[in-house]
Amino acid sequence: MSTTKAKVERPASVRKGGGRFDWRWAGLAALLAAAVYAPFQLVPFHVFQLTMVLVYAVALLGLNLLVGHAGQISLGHGAFFAIGAYTCAILLDRFDLPYPLTLPLAAAVAFVLGLALGVPAMRLRGLYLALVTLAIAIFLVPLLKRFEELTGGSMGLTLAKPTPPAWSGLAEDQWLYFLTLAVAVAAFLLAASLLRSRVGRALHALRDNEIAAEVMGVRLSFYKTLAFAWSAMFAGAAGCVYTWVIGFVSPDSFTVNLSITLLAGLVVGGLGSLSGPVLGGLFVMFVPSISQDINDAAPGVIFGLLIIAVMYVAPTGLAGLAGRLIKKIPRKE
Amino acid sequence: MSEDLVVEDLHAGYGDARVLHGVRFTVRQGEVCAILGPNGAGKTTLLRALSGVIRARGTITLGGTSLTGRSPDAVARLGVAHVPEGRGTFMPLTVEENLRLGAYVRRGPSVEEDLERIHTYFPVLKKRLKQAAGSLSGGEQQMLALGRALMLRPRVLLLDEPSLGLAPLVTRELFRIVQAINTEERTTVVVVEQNAHLALGIAQQAHVLETGRIVLSGTAAEIRADEQVAQSYLGYRV
Amino acid sequence: MAAFLQQVVEGLGAGAIYASLALALVLIYQFTGIVNFAQGELAMFSTYIAWQCVAAGMPFWLALVVTLAVSFAGGMLIERIIIRPVEGAPELTIVIVTVGLFIFVNAAAGWIWTFLIKDFPNPFPGGALEAAGISVNFSTLGVLGVVALVMGLLYLLFQYTKIGLGMRAVAANPASARLVGIRVGRTLALGWGLAATVGAVSGVLVAPLLFLEPNMMGGVLIYAFAAATLGGFDSPLGAVVGGLVVGVAETLAGAYVGFIGSDLKVGVPLVIILGVLLLRPQGLFGRAAVERA
Repeated sequence: MSTTKAKVERPASVRKGGGRFDWRWAGLAALLAAAVYAPFQLVPFHVFQLTMVLVYAVALLGLNLLVGHAGQISLGHGAFFAIGAYTCAILLDRFDLPYPLTLPLAAAVAFVLGLALGVPAMRLRGLYLALVTLAIAIFLVPLLKRFEELTGGSMGLTLAKPTPPAWSGLAEDQWLYFLTLAVAVAAFLLAASLLRSRVGRALHALRDNEIAAEVMGVRLSFYKTLAFAWSAMFAGAAGCVYTWVIGFVSPDSFTVNLSITLLAGLVVGGLGSLSGPVLGGLFVMFVPSISQDINDAAPGVIFGLLIIAVMYVAPTGLAGLAGRLIKKIPRKE
Repeated sequence: MSEDLVVEDLHAGYGDARVLHGVRFTVRQGEVCAILGPNGAGKTTLLRALSGVIRARGTITLGGTSLTGRSPDAVARLGVAHVPEGRGTFMPLTVEENLRLGAYVRRGPSVEEDLERIHTYFPVLKKRLKQAAGSLSGGEQQMLALGRALMLRPRVLLLDEPSLGLAPLVTRELFRIVQAINTEERTTVVVVEQNAHLALGIAQQAHVLETGRIVLSGTAAEIRADEQVAQSYLGYRV
Repeated sequence: MAAFLQQVVEGLGAGAIYASLALALVLIYQFTGIVNFAQGELAMFSTYIAWQCVAAGMPFWLALVVTLAVSFAGGMLIERIIIRPVEGAPELTIVIVTVGLFIFVNAAAGWIWTFLIKDFPNPFPGGALEAAGISVNFSTLGVLGVVALVMGLLYLLFQYTKIGLGMRAVAANPASARLVGIRVGRTLALGWGLAATVGAVSGVLVAPLLFLEPNMMGGVLIYAFAAATLGGFDSPLGAVVGGLVVGVAETLAGAYVGFIGSDLKVGVPLVIILGVLLLRPQGLFGRAAVERA
């Protein structure tokens, strides 16, 4: 929603000689400044939590491409997250690769797997994609346990975290935070430019009306498969960064619950908007950590109710809701 | 007590698209009323508004009871049988099940009697009672739809383009049966038709609908005699 | 040969449970075109109700009757409260709502009954029937018998009652069903109630074999999906046949394909779902292609 809105507005402000101040970019700049400033003000644990928000946000950016923009449902995105995490872990553990190299490799592996699975999966309608992806997410855990020599089996793999270079003067948690922030900003820009491209328009056409899109000459299966592969790539990159930050991977970190939580976070944050994944990341991180004190089941109860409520009152999630409120303000002047 | 169907100042449409703009007409009990007009005039919309499939503003009363704002199932329970565009066949169900569904809101042994009665109108259906309705030909499905509607023992029968997609011979047979139903059961009939000639052949009253308004009303004979109407709406020369 | 048949029998036992949950999925899909991702969790919740009744001192079979009645009412309520507001919404929205329901019901059970595992009484006697070198547990026979009974009752309901005829009419052509005077909304709620009841049966059957805990049905659900996909999402008979085939396939693959073993058996439903969707998307007994516009 907000992206199309922006597309409409920007040429108008250009025509007026750029006289209007673009609040969107100002907001983004302020957010980025705050994001850079934050780790110097927070205790390490909170820095770690913010780092995880960014990790989830990267995965959700990818999921949003698929669900929010192409209108396809994945209940197994945790599987690609896991693949990225394990690719990174195995490269570090087995091949002693320098960690920056693990990121493109993990993303590439996830992309290729996404493509390979996307070819059959995308011939299916959304509903069946949900079934297949769910089955993949469930299957991955025993599969990871099986290849014990490579994955460490149920015990998982423990790895050294990236150490901050001396010139930076940063503590480990701060360094990890900035690495993650850099990846998140890059992912955000990539997603934004993807959506502005011809591909983004094709995806929107798909989501809004598959049949009309096909009549208009959008090659359905091609773009669906591509959207699936890209979203897998983002999830893989997020998984890789997860391994950097946590320094440990095990199959039980990537159960089907992760996939479902990711979808829940995205829905609550906002489908189809660029800020949705960031809000979603906050949810995925903080709803459990805050509400778990009440009861182990509280996060699930909250997520479940929130998802249903969001689908009733605000299908574009909190991001869409905020957008609608902001748009209302100038009208009242 | 009169059982007339009275429609006054009826407005209806789909979402923002208004289709009917203040339609008004009366069908007297036991009469056949033909609604004529070109494609897109709002004929199907009119029937849908009458049976509650789409929301309508205005008043629709049947024998003094208001139909406006009721759901389709409630309108059916009041005795209005709507044979929709596309015939509304329950394809995977058998012919007999389709017929029994027509009497869904009724109870009692009279349902069995009515099944027999349907067979006298449509002998072709009797041979195919246990067959899946989806395997019938177009003409047979239209007969089945009529039979299903009759099973309600309707006070009013709404027929949407019964001739659509049928061979001329089949269509003529169909209209003959509709006329027989009308005379023998004293059922009020509202029939929407492109084939004005056939519809006027069995109707007492007729209305010409254009872009959501009734532009001409009269007896079937009057409408048929109006040369200008014949040319502009009915598509044939006198 | 006897060993092989033994595996087949055990597969049928597992398959009967998948079949019953698949039957619940199919019931809802037929009427609404919705695949209810929360079906397994609803079944789990029903099983807890049965457990609670038994724990309160009720005899098992009475507890079962109470559970089925509560499940039926609960299913109808869920349709009215949760699903009705999104009726006619895009498929994406509805699937997400059922996923939300999944998360909520799972957590609610954990909140009420904790995540600790509970023992669930087995209603069938221990021991086994021995014949021709094969031994069939009474509990396997019991499971097969119960699923056959449920299937038979549903068949009678759909084929020989007026309500059943109305339900089939709604599944076949909702718009036309409305025109003949059927209250379609009520019928849809009835469908959800029936599905929740059938699902409750599957939960009560599976609980003595696994342990009762909130995540009990997660694994079963994916087999039920495979069963429904294989049989065809619009065919109750297909769901049952599909369930049995999936159960047998899973057991045989686990026993005879060395690489799969017992831990990778959960890959079997994935392979079945993918295979069916690519080769015969409507399933074995499905009527038309699954595309519903």
